[in-house]
Amino acid sequence: MRFQDGLNLATGAVRSSGLRSGLTALGIAVGIAAVVLLTSIGAGVHRYVLNEFTQFGTNLIAIVPGKTETFGISTAAVSNVRPLSLDDAAALERVDGVIATVPVLQGNAEVEGAGRSRRSMVLGVGSEMPRVWSMRVATGRFLPRDDERSPRGYVVLGSKVRKELFGDRNPLGQRLRVGGDRYRIVGVMESKGQFLGFDLDDAVYVPASKALELFNRESLMEIDLLYRAGFSVDRVKESTRRLMLSRHGSEDFTIITQQQMLDVLGSVLDVLTFAVAALGGISLFVGGVGILTIMTIAVSERTAEIGLLRAIGATRGQVLRLFLYESLLLAAAGGVAGLVLGFGLALLLGFAVPALPIHPSTEYVLLAEGLAVAIGLAAGIVPARNAATLQPLEALRTE
Amino acid sequence: MRIGDILTYAYGGVAGYRLRSLLMLFAMAVGVASVVVLTGLGEGARRYVTGEFASLGTHLLIVLPGRNETTGGAPPLLGETPRDLTLDDALALKRSAAIRRVAPVTVGSAPVSYQQREREVITIGTTAEFLHVRRLKILSGRFLPETDPRRAAPVCVLGGKLKRELFGNRAAVGQWVRVGDRRFRVIGVLASEGRAIGLDLEDMVVVPVASAQALFDTPALFRVLVEARSQSLIENARQQILAIVRARHEGEDDITVITQDAVIGTFNKIFTALTMTVGGIAAISLAVAGILIMNVMLVAVSQRTAEIGVIKALGATRRTIITLFLTEAGVMAAAGAAIGLALGYAAGAATAQIYPVLSITAPVWAAVSALLLAIGLGVVFGVLPARRAAALDPIAALARR
Repeated sequence: MRFQDGLNLATGAVRSSGLRSGLTALGIAVGIAAVVLLTSIGAGVHRYVLNEFTQFGTNLIAIVPGKTETFGISTAAVSNVRPLSLDDAAALERVDGVIATVPVLQGNAEVEGAGRSRRSMVLGVGSEMPRVWSMRVATGRFLPRDDERSPRGYVVLGSKVRKELFGDRNPLGQRLRVGGDRYRIVGVMESKGQFLGFDLDDAVYVPASKALELFNRESLMEIDLLYRAGFSVDRVKESTRRLMLSRHGSEDFTIITQQQMLDVLGSVLDVLTFAVAALGGISLFVGGVGILTIMTIAVSERTAEIGLLRAIGATRGQVLRLFLYESLLLAAAGGVAGLVLGFGLALLLGFAVPALPIHPSTEYVLLAEGLAVAIGLAAGIVPARNAATLQPLEALRTE
Repeated sequence: MRIGDILTYAYGGVAGYRLRSLLMLFAMAVGVASVVVLTGLGEGARRYVTGEFASLGTHLLIVLPGRNETTGGAPPLLGETPRDLTLDDALALKRSAAIRRVAPVTVGSAPVSYQQREREVITIGTTAEFLHVRRLKILSGRFLPETDPRRAAPVCVLGGKLKRELFGNRAAVGQWVRVGDRRFRVIGVLASEGRAIGLDLEDMVVVPVASAQALFDTPALFRVLVEARSQSLIENARQQILAIVRARHEGEDDITVITQDAVIGTFNKIFTALTMTVGGIAAISLAVAGILIMNVMLVAVSQRTAEIGVIKALGATRRTIITLFLTEAGVMAAAGAAIGLALGYAAGAATAQIYPVLSITAPVWAAVSALLLAIGLGVVFGVLPARRAAALDPIAALARR
């Protein structure tokens, strides 16, 4: 018997009991559709979160005070006995490969201008911030490069603060009070949106040393470095560490590279996507049980046919393969239908809920289809073996 | 036909084809068990997290410096304000009749050393009331003394892990340790607390609030923990905290007050939604099992055509036939669901034995709805085969024999 004949026989068997085959395949299809849909959502969220992080650029290194292994908010950012200073930030610019550094200090203060007031986030930063965080100025310019110890009292507004305080009027050149100190507005940032709960539009940007004074602190909360693309992260990190060590005498700081953060996030999100895929996999498993049941029934129904096949010279292997083809065919057809269904639903969901990031990922789709075929194989093997081990004489007698 | 007869017939149909029926039961059981286990996980996580927050204390309010204009957003968890929340602000809160205890908190990171060993840990500056507000336990020695909070006494209390790291098995109480550039005498060690959210209470040192402020050279507080006198006075306490601080801050509203209830309520909502989503996804497998039941029932109808012919010839009506087959599908689904429930709860109990922290017990609503859904799906998917059986022509059906 040629391969082609075997396939034809199997196709014939599948098609002759159309409704039954259709329902069996439907079981697999529902499972596959669930897997495709869920992994699409998982992969969409994955991309969304990574985009959130990479929108600030990828060649970033952050230095935070205090020695911590976990990443998250370190208590050292609140208070510490070994401050991270503006001088540190200036010194780090000399590290090989570093293009620019930004000292960062964040707080919350009353912002008053044009007769209105608003409580907003106040970010104390350096003049290189737009470059390091890949942000753009909408009108005016960013803070000028002054002597960092005594910078001029300039402030740049986030787009939301500008809208709330000044409406449509031009804020450039106007005076602004931030926590009681007077500043002059030199620019407005382009809208950047929320980032992990921080609304970067509802913020004002002032020179870091002014912010240190305003909040009565000695230590910065963070220093961000931008290094040249193509430079090895590890090298920059190592020379940064050495410089900081020589300045502070001991390792009382933590260096976090953007790459590290992305890796950790990426692996967490991968686990999540896998978990939701496994949830969908339960349905797929039940669908597999369905194939097993139906193939068992098919073998017992077609005992006589098997007897005949064996009587006219079909080997055990051929009978085995015949039934395996059949279950594979059912699973594969169900799988394809499930892919179409899953993609359709994902597209539909994307239209219905645009806020939900959905990204059908090819690898999971291929994995799902492969899984469907594997399930067909696994579910088919016991019934097919049963068919193959039937005694031809016994089988024929049931006619 | 009486109910008993119908059930007996249905049982005969199920028992007659043992392997096939077992597989169907298995499929249904897998679906129901997965719903039970997954909703149990969600429920367990919900209870764990809300339990964590509840164990922080009772009738708790947390006062943070800073305020964001947009309400509903994240509170300013970390950050500085031009006007600090000071120790005097915290002490002024005690004037409110709705407030029982006030624990000011400053937090920072500082190296703690004893002889050659040094460890950088969280340093908490607070008062004696912190022990009661946070419900901590003392293992040996005592907690901070109840003296004037403005006095910077050189005493400290160590967390369990920090004590082990610095002192090993030796007694720590009475020894002097160095925190930052100051020396403190250890007067107590905290008992291990199994669980804590946010701060690792095991790896920290507690010093009087005035000492911490001197150590970090800041007059600012990081938080003030407030315990209201009773559940009903929480909202009252919140208003009074805002009013007292506003009066002290020249009429400016520059603090945020979070109540523990609000936090727990939010987490409850999030986790319930999560549990329902996960349960819903698992319930898809119930639908797949339902399709399987329909498929097998269809096969059964075609295999048992002759039998149906006989029953019809004996005078059974369409309704009777439909009832017979629907009962069979329903019995199958119900039996599978019952097995699934048992499996699911057994898995939950087994997990509870291994990880006692996480209790996996499916909420009753989830178990009941999984059971009802399974039976409902079985019956719904049984309709087509049952109608097909009922529509058979008795003569043609008998002639097949």
